[in-house]
Amino acid sequence: MTGAGIMLMSGDMPRGSVCSTDGVSRLIEQLQYDLGEGPCVDAYRTNIPVLEPNLAIPAAPRWVAFQASAVEAGARGVFGFPMTVGAARIGALNLYRDRPGALTDDQHADALVMAEVAAQTVLLLQADAPPGQLAAELEAGADFHFAVHQAAGMVAAQLEIPVAQALVRLRAHAFGHGRDLVDVARDVVARTLRFDNTVDRDPPGEDEPTA
Amino acid sequence: MPREALFASTLVELADTLVADFDVVDLLTLLSDRCVEVLDVGAAGIMLAAPDGSLRVMASSSDTMRLLELFELQAQDGPCLDSFRTGEPVVNDDLEGSSDRWPQFSIEARDAGFRSVLALPMRLRGAVIGALNLFNVELGPMSDSDVVAARAFADVATIAILQHRAVHEAQLLNDQLAFALNSRIVIEQAKGIIAERMKIDMDEAFRALRYHSRNHNVRLATLAAEVVDGAVRAGDLDDPPPVTRR
Repeated sequence: MTGAGIMLMSGDMPRGSVCSTDGVSRLIEQLQYDLGEGPCVDAYRTNIPVLEPNLAIPAAPRWVAFQASAVEAGARGVFGFPMTVGAARIGALNLYRDRPGALTDDQHADALVMAEVAAQTVLLLQADAPPGQLAAELEAGADFHFAVHQAAGMVAAQLEIPVAQALVRLRAHAFGHGRDLVDVARDVVARTLRFDNTVDRDPPGEDEPTA
Repeated sequence: MPREALFASTLVELADTLVADFDVVDLLTLLSDRCVEVLDVGAAGIMLAAPDGSLRVMASSSDTMRLLELFELQAQDGPCLDSFRTGEPVVNDDLEGSSDRWPQFSIEARDAGFRSVLALPMRLRGAVIGALNLFNVELGPMSDSDVVAARAFADVATIAILQHRAVHEAQLLNDQLAFALNSRIVIEQAKGIIAERMKIDMDEAFRALRYHSRNHNVRLATLAAEVVDGAVRAGDLDDPPPVTRR
């Protein structure tokens, strides 16, 4: 395996990355967070391992937006394993390699065990947290992209729309401009980017999909 | 149904509870009923330890058995308690000879019509979670095959209960995790709305949110959700006192 990472999810959505071994892993998780699609998202939603041994030439097309960017970053095989303890679904373990190829049976079995250990560990950390709060270890080690939610609040106020729609506008802007969602969000929070139905269309000529 | 078939089908029934979600009391009631049907015993009962470590009667094959178990707990003496405390089986073939060991219990048990008893710990490795009690109206030991079968029932039930507890606890923790994460997100969203509307930065927005939540004794996440869905407007929040020192 070339790299690995762990994503926490809830309510069918990626919530943040707890850790990743390298830059490509980080990007693979970032893409799934930005786009809401990819092997981890599917593994979490379907509760079964999601295996794509040849991302550059997949047997069946899937994850249209995720695929191109992940391949460009150097991922050739991507594998998502659901992190569960009993009926509780916590997130997904994300594995990638820089050359195509299926997992061996042993690797597959190891990944299942690792995903369960990761899930148990996250729950153990959270067990010591005060009620209603995130465990300090999770908060410190993980990147939950809180700027994105602050920016969604600001854009909601700018456009007089619900925050869920504002998040869609932010994602659309990031995708349309080929930028990271988190970078776009930081610009909004720093007030160098406003969404008021004119400024966010910069550069001119690009069509901003409306939510 | 022949005895062996009944035994096998009981194990299958008990094992079924390992997959589906199940009710612990239902499982233990099933177990105590099957003990009487499959094994050569007059009555069966199960006690489980509560979180504080004290035993509770969870299931009994008859009312007489239930009363006897309750009595055992009240008097704090009897084979079930001994088995739970030691983690070992407690065999008594003749309750008449056990007045020294369990002075009060042996009288009550004989009054209820029982002559012999076997108590098995419900145990997985180090953890003893309760005990299974089998009472008989006859004198003398249970047959070896009955003891083996009872042991198997107790083991399967123990695994099912421990599994159920682990799953339940994980579910609870995960709900807490999701709740904490969602609370955090809605607070960040509210900060963004307040910062934009009041033309202040994120720290000031958070101070305003926190000040208002304390003033009105509303939970931070609840107030944040009200700001996000528009029930509370940013302009309506109490002005926090100015920061005098940083």
